Amino acid sequence: MDIMQHVPIIMIILPVFFAAFTVLFRSKSGLQKALNVGVFALLFILSLRLLSYVWDNGILVYEVGEWGKYGILLVADLLGAGMVVLSSLISLMAMIYATDYMDRKALDTTFFPLFNLMAAGLNGIFLTGDIFNMFVFFEILVLSSCGLIVLTGRGDHTKMADKLEAIFKYLVLNMVSITLMLVAIASLYATVGTLNMADIAVKVSYLAEAGTLPWHFHVIAMILIVVFGYKASMFPLHFWLADVHPSAPAPIHAMLSGMVIKVGVYGILRVHYLIFNETMFMLQPILILLSLITIAVGATSAIGQYDLKRMLAYSSVSQIGYVLLGVGMGTAYALTAAIVYLVNHAVAKSMLFLATGETLYHAGTKDIRKMGGFAKSSPFLGSIFLIGAMSIAGLPPTGGFFSKLVLFDAGLSSEYYIPVAIALVFAIFTLFYLFRTWLAIFWGEIKDTDNADGYTERKPTVAIKVALALLACVVIYMGVYPEHLLSLSGTIADQLLDPQPYITAVLERSVR
Amino acid sequence: MNDTLLSVSIALVFGIATFMILRRDLIRVAIGITLLSHATNMLIVSTGAFLGGRTPIITGDKAVSTGGTFIDDLATGILAPVIPDGIEIAYVDPLVQALTLTAIVISLATTAFLLILCYRLYQEQGTTDVSEIRRLKG
Repeated sequence: MDIMQHVPIIMIILPVFFAAFTVLFRSKSGLQKALNVGVFALLFILSLRLLSYVWDNGILVYEVGEWGKYGILLVADLLGAGMVVLSSLISLMAMIYATDYMDRKALDTTFFPLFNLMAAGLNGIFLTGDIFNMFVFFEILVLSSCGLIVLTGRGDHTKMADKLEAIFKYLVLNMVSITLMLVAIASLYATVGTLNMADIAVKVSYLAEAGTLPWHFHVIAMILIVVFGYKASMFPLHFWLADVHPSAPAPIHAMLSGMVIKVGVYGILRVHYLIFNETMFMLQPILILLSLITIAVGATSAIGQYDLKRMLAYSSVSQIGYVLLGVGMGTAYALTAAIVYLVNHAVAKSMLFLATGETLYHAGTKDIRKMGGFAKSSPFLGSIFLIGAMSIAGLPPTGGFFSKLVLFDAGLSSEYYIPVAIALVFAIFTLFYLFRTWLAIFWGEIKDTDNADGYTERKPTVAIKVALALLACVVIYMGVYPEHLLSLSGTIADQLLDPQPYITAVLERSVR
Repeated sequence: MNDTLLSVSIALVFGIATFMILRRDLIRVAIGITLLSHATNMLIVSTGAFLGGRTPIITGDKAVSTGGTFIDDLATGILAPVIPDGIEIAYVDPLVQALTLTAIVISLATTAFLLILCYRLYQEQGTTDVSEIRRLKG
């Protein structure tokens, strides 16, 4: 059991180490692939073990450098460990998929180191207990994903000039948002004199009880909502996503839209529900309003799109609105719904993006109007795409049905009738644009266009089939046995609303 | 240093940075981002700088007279850098300087990457005018 104490740091150190180590094998392509898939499988197993350990034994705190509570802490509570399991699952599948999908040149040189760094950044964000450390991991995540977006894969019809433009936007906007986060962190530190999130929470509640909570505390909470809202592509800050994410190759697109935008939601769940409890009464109506506009803008933009990847990117904007709606409603049941929605959307959307990458490779074009009749030549891709579309739209045998059901039920039970009505209308929009797309691509006749590339009948390779089939199994599993995820999310939501165990675990423990 | 002067200069750098980011030239945007991180670094350092503060290198007998900076006791008030009344502060806060070092290193890497990106964009698209680089839309 002793090794379990060190799993939080292993989840971060191992990918960082491998980012450097894998460069040594750049001339041995096969060995490099096997090694990296092995490492990501190991990370996934470790994350599962971590989640079960945290479920059995309570919150796990790891002191980096053994400096007590003044040093940097890694805290694995159920939310953090659960998010690590989710990100490890999706990055494992994206990695398996990418070994066959990415260009040989990209794969041999830069893909593996950067992908390892991206996984390290994600795990670090989810496991850190220190708000400045969260900023550092945000930077690691941003810089590594910038490098990954420019790489090319085989179904990638984006020109290099477009990719560079996309990452310029991504990098500049991210730098501004991250600088804002740093300003917020500096102000928070100047207010309470600590960077440890649990310690901040204690001191803030102390200040609030004494009635001396300074007014700029509310401003800090708002700045952090802007930062995390930007990461999650909330309404006024959503415009970059449809340019940046579709420029990435399919596995990276799956990681970005599946996992990286969830980082913003995680930030709101962690930081705002732990530290900014006092300001949530003010922020919740704002979150609900903005999330509804996000849903509406994303869904209507997706309807007007003929570019498949762009359409799905706008769909991500719309879906993240539902997650933020649950976060904004803020009751225990609504938070449960938000977490269930987050998990289901992450798995289904990343599967949809991986399937899209392969479909585009076969189609030779990104335009939906030029596709048609692919069901005959590739029934496998068609069924995978259908399962993903059903889950995103919320149809019964898949996990998406339960996420929407629980979310609307939570909204009704806390009497948010109008938000639920609006969300329901745009859920029908989701159903419409996803099935219109599926019918256009896979049904009907093969279109006789003057497009010279046309549809070429190439079977998906084994690695791609394995990754897609495993993700489809997870999606179906979460639809057939939703109670596991529901009970886990329920416990996480209770812990979020009552952060006392988290604070106790971090602050009141025997210092080694 | 004078507190007002410090605040005004931080605000000025923030203002110049915002102005530069809103320019239409790629390089100016990159310079704006750099200035923005400089302004933030100044802000972080200023949160730990008190009037008459000495360098936080504490050795030997001086360690006894650190005052309120390093005590962490909720019962007597919220501490460092928010100082309760009646405690004299001898040293500036060293933690913010460590934070600034980290932030400087990160902004160095990002600036280098951003400048290379500007150069590559110029190579690919033949212009550094932001309003002409707009292929992605739809």
